Amino acid sequence: MTDVVGSKSPVIAKAGRRGLSEGWFAWALIAPAMLFIGVIVAWPLAETIRLSFTDANMGGENFVGLANYEKLLHSSKFYEIIGRTFFWMFLSVGLKLILGLIGATLLNAAVPGRALFRVLIMPPWVIPIAIGCIGWLWLYNGHFGIVAGMMQRMGIIDGPFEILAYKNSAFYAAIVTDVWVGTPMVSLFFLAAMQGVSRDLYEAAWVDGAGRWYRFRRITIPQIMPVIVSMALLSAIWTFNSFEIIWILTQGGPRGGTTTMIVDTYKTAIGNYKFGEGAARAVVIVVLLAVFSLIYLQILNRVNRKYGVK
Amino acid sequence: MQHSKTLMVAAALLGSSALSAHATDLQFIMCGGEVRPADQVVIDQFQKDNPDIKVNMEAVPWGTCQDKSMTLAAAGNPPSVAYMGSRTLKQLSKNGLIVPAEITPEMEALYQPGVLKTVSDGGKYWGYPHAFSTKALYINCDLVTAAGLECKAPADWTEMIAMAKAIKEKDGVAGIGIAGKDFDNTMHMFLDFLYSNGGTVLNAETGEVTLDSQNTRETLQMYKDVMPYGIEGPTAWERDQMKDLFNDGKLGMYVNGPWGFGQQKEKVPNQLVVPVPHGPSGVSGTILITDSIAVFKQKDPAVEAAAQKLAAALTSGAAQYDLDKTWGLTPILQYEKMDVGEKPYYVDDAFWKVFVDGISTGGPEPLVTDFKSLQGVFTTMIQGVMLDEGGSIDDLVKQASADLAEVK
Repeated sequence: MTDVVGSKSPVIAKAGRRGLSEGWFAWALIAPAMLFIGVIVAWPLAETIRLSFTDANMGGENFVGLANYEKLLHSSKFYEIIGRTFFWMFLSVGLKLILGLIGATLLNAAVPGRALFRVLIMPPWVIPIAIGCIGWLWLYNGHFGIVAGMMQRMGIIDGPFEILAYKNSAFYAAIVTDVWVGTPMVSLFFLAAMQGVSRDLYEAAWVDGAGRWYRFRRITIPQIMPVIVSMALLSAIWTFNSFEIIWILTQGGPRGGTTTMIVDTYKTAIGNYKFGEGAARAVVIVVLLAVFSLIYLQILNRVNRKYGVK
Repeated sequence: MQHSKTLMVAAALLGSSALSAHATDLQFIMCGGEVRPADQVVIDQFQKDNPDIKVNMEAVPWGTCQDKSMTLAAAGNPPSVAYMGSRTLKQLSKNGLIVPAEITPEMEALYQPGVLKTVSDGGKYWGYPHAFSTKALYINCDLVTAAGLECKAPADWTEMIAMAKAIKEKDGVAGIGIAGKDFDNTMHMFLDFLYSNGGTVLNAETGEVTLDSQNTRETLQMYKDVMPYGIEGPTAWERDQMKDLFNDGKLGMYVNGPWGFGQQKEKVPNQLVVPVPHGPSGVSGTILITDSIAVFKQKDPAVEAAAQKLAAALTSGAAQYDLDKTWGLTPILQYEKMDVGEKPYYVDDAFWKVFVDGISTGGPEPLVTDFKSLQGVFTTMIQGVMLDEGGSIDDLVKQASADLAEVK
């Protein structure tokens, strides 16, 4: 074992004998993956950046320098959309993490039929998002939907109420649907992490008289904290870029009340055929998410160091 | 021997593929999700008469169809011909993606007044108008009489609002349906009322924005006044969804095209169809909307010529009459001036009179270079009134006019 770790592997040694240096051989090995990433990530990104400096539309394109970015900088509407996007992301991710943690804890409990419950939480994640959203559209319908119907029966409202017709209610309704779609996966990740926590820790705490809440707070949470942080980052990126849910429910309306950056980008680039302006918006999204991810990774490193994860 | 047989078969195959390569293939995108039987008859006959031309039909639902045609064209892979909303034509023509329609002077003279304006820009026609609609007010007479009123055409907006109020107060159902969703017919319905109040959007000659007017303010004020008696949450509703409410007896009246009658007659047999009521500054009018067949610019002139020929065949008198009659559309041509072998279906018909009479006082769907932004401008203004946001009516109109100037 030590020999393999401490010396050149037989394959590399063989490559070396044929005259290919170790460095070049390593590059050769990762070249296919690099090429793949170059084609599906780097090239589209570079092309998007290039387009953002043009007025590309249906009829062609001309170089316009920073005009698209200047237009964004001077648009109060765009700042409103950025603010709404971060609010959407933090609220939705926060709810997903809290509900995911509660769900994982319940699914990890030794109760009869646990396997069945684990299967039952999957549908929101497993069924196609479009199908799920169309179901929610019906639930939210003010005249025929269950939500408004129940509210009427409970005396909260005295007639039909169109949930998706008003800016605030439409926004929070979209959050509920996004949380419904995203929570099962978070729960499953947390559940997997919880199952990796040593039983010895719980038994030792139990012997010392620690209660359930104390054990959860001082053992479970710290032990799964790296997973929580990682999941929060991934979920934040997915939620930030979540498109289908908003598009199917409200198309960003009413009056832009549910328009997030990704919806605004789609409307501009694809809906209005302003590819250059849309590309500038996409580049802003990439920059914002990159900065956000860097900050998050710093936090993740600190958390990992604190909890001794390499 | 075996080898020579193989060679002969290969040569025959190559020969046939070479022949088929000589044939002209037309890619036809038909918006609406179906090819109407009346159109299919013409296409079949066209292929029979032109055996070297093959027409490949692709029917695409409205929701995605126009985007598909336009995106294909923008990407350099245009369809040969597409049936789509005339509102897209100016954007396509300004970007050099379609070619002018070759409408003969004889055909020009046959179109209903205003129809060719919906496809005109810069002195050229950019599409062959193929479907035409005008609008009218549908009233559920059972709800009106239950509210203690006589079921008759409201003469003006004041009477219309009073009728909506009576229905709402009697049964609690919506008196009137005003579309407010982020959708094209929100703009269309507003224009029905704006044109019925003497308003305009653009100056037909100069292209100048004329939306900022007292007529527009009065129309928005009417929207505001009627809201308490309308559908709850109008920003979630578009016209086609209102049809379901109307059929369920949950809506007193709303504006729709002639096709609405057939869709509603079973569930609401006691419906009255009347002209859109007029406002204080105008006479009853309607928006004149057409869908057209556009011929896309091609590298191969033979394809372009074949596409022009097919478009002309589909929109020729007899073929067009069959489509209008079987589909139940407002007549796009003045068939009474032609020989269609029978008395045209709308002549001496009280129902059709409502839709035909509106043509002379109607206004076109504005042709602009960015039709989706145009829709956005109107929706934002209308939703501003519905959600009581964006300032006063005056502010909303001024903002909409300024925004419109950027997209015209």
